[in-house]
Amino acid sequence: MNPQANPFGSALHGAAPGLIRTGLGVYGEKFLDSSSEFMQSNYYFQVNSQYVRNKLKVILFPFLHRGHWTRITEPVGGRLSYKPPVQDINAPDLYIPLMAFGTYIIVAGYALGAVGRFTPEALTLQFSKGLLGWFLQVILIKGLLYTLGSSEAPLLDIVAYAGYGFAGTSLAMFARIFWSYLYYFIMPWFCLCTGVFLVKTMKRVLLGGPRSYERHPSRNHYFLLFLAVVQFPMLFWLGNISG
Amino acid sequence: MAKEFPVPPVVFTPSTPTHRRHPPPGAGPSPRPAFAPPRPSTSSAANPLPFMSFDVNAAAASSSAPPLYAGPIGVGSGTSFEDEPPLLEELGINTRQIWRKTISILHPLRSADPSLHADADLSGPFLFLLSFGLFQLLAGKFHFGIVLGWVTVASLFLYFVFSMLSGRRRGDLDLYRCVSLVGYCMLPMVIFSAVSLFLPRGGGLMFGVGMCFVLWSTRVCTKLLAELASSGDEHRGLIAYACWLVYMLFSLLVIF
Repeated sequence: MNPQANPFGSALHGAAPGLIRTGLGVYGEKFLDSSSEFMQSNYYFQVNSQYVRNKLKVILFPFLHRGHWTRITEPVGGRLSYKPPVQDINAPDLYIPLMAFGTYIIVAGYALGAVGRFTPEALTLQFSKGLLGWFLQVILIKGLLYTLGSSEAPLLDIVAYAGYGFAGTSLAMFARIFWSYLYYFIMPWFCLCTGVFLVKTMKRVLLGGPRSYERHPSRNHYFLLFLAVVQFPMLFWLGNISG
Repeated sequence: MAKEFPVPPVVFTPSTPTHRRHPPPGAGPSPRPAFAPPRPSTSSAANPLPFMSFDVNAAAASSSAPPLYAGPIGVGSGTSFEDEPPLLEELGINTRQIWRKTISILHPLRSADPSLHADADLSGPFLFLLSFGLFQLLAGKFHFGIVLGWVTVASLFLYFVFSMLSGRRRGDLDLYRCVSLVGYCMLPMVIFSAVSLFLPRGGGLMFGVGMCFVLWSTRVCTKLLAELASSGDEHRGLIAYACWLVYMLFSLLVIF
């Protein structure tokens, strides 16, 4: 049979891969350029390996951080803006939360497999659970900041702070694969560390805000204590792979 | 008694119309139509079917049975069957190039040649994903759709991280090239899924072997990403960790 039964003749010779290529290229560009403000600012991904190492040390062992916790500001174009993460250890970034979330998924997959319960659907469930947990942390921190009066911290800062908790969680889950009792020592330690980190950071964020931090010191302290304490059930829930 | 009419004999001749007889009313054949094809006995091919292409070139060139869709072809392109490029070339599958790229990835110690991957294509990755799915099927796991979905998500993730890290100097990495790279660097994982068929399920040996293959994939992928995007040198460790996460995800499918 003559394979010439192509009603479009010579129009599409070799055009199919080109169409896919340009389509994917354009879609990729559109995907990244859709919120051009975010892309052009590119503040949260200005990181290097040294920053990542030091920041992880600050998140996981905040007691050892000798320096101050305030973010360094610099005047840019007449306004005060914060220095990017490469130059300031206290600046939030989005690389570490993203990688910590990915590590959390992978470690959860291995933990599921170690007890014989791995299926791709279970992993997808764990992914959704992680996203939900991240979202809940964001709501928590945002609510806290709103009640305490300073509500002009940018949303991506809060997303970054909320995502730092995944680093400790994934480390504790990794330890659990080897010896399950280790989990019950390591996990409270990391909950405490994440709580301390968040409290210290939020204190600086609130102090940076314009008003009313000093007016109700005890109320602020109770709220911050609540923030630290609620990390325990939150991170335990995230680390629990049977739910 | 019926009246006899003199009915002339019916003769179809291709020759001059002087031999035509006036057809009697109500009987006899219809007059020879003006568009009747020439007698096949005159052409070289013994063609009993009276259906011929209207395109003179196609009719002259085709040697086999006449095409059923000869009409639109004649109207559409006017090219003959021999002038069409081969099917693989038409689809853009360059098998030579795919083979060369595969061989360049296969050497675990010698670094892959990044200039080969400058022109990205998706047919090599498609082959690799298909064989990955087939090896998984041999192990009793039906993962075709899952692998496809995870490759998409993983490529999007890697593209996002890479372009955000490189900022303005993205080089010429676009989503198509990223998918192509991730797909090509799946080759060690495909080999791992083949090897895992012979290893005891769930043991530490499988885990150790898996780590070697994951590291191999990560190394190749990082190198290609850094070279192709022309700006990845200072973020090599950060990109390597992202690639490592992606390939650990696929090792999960193989090991468990």
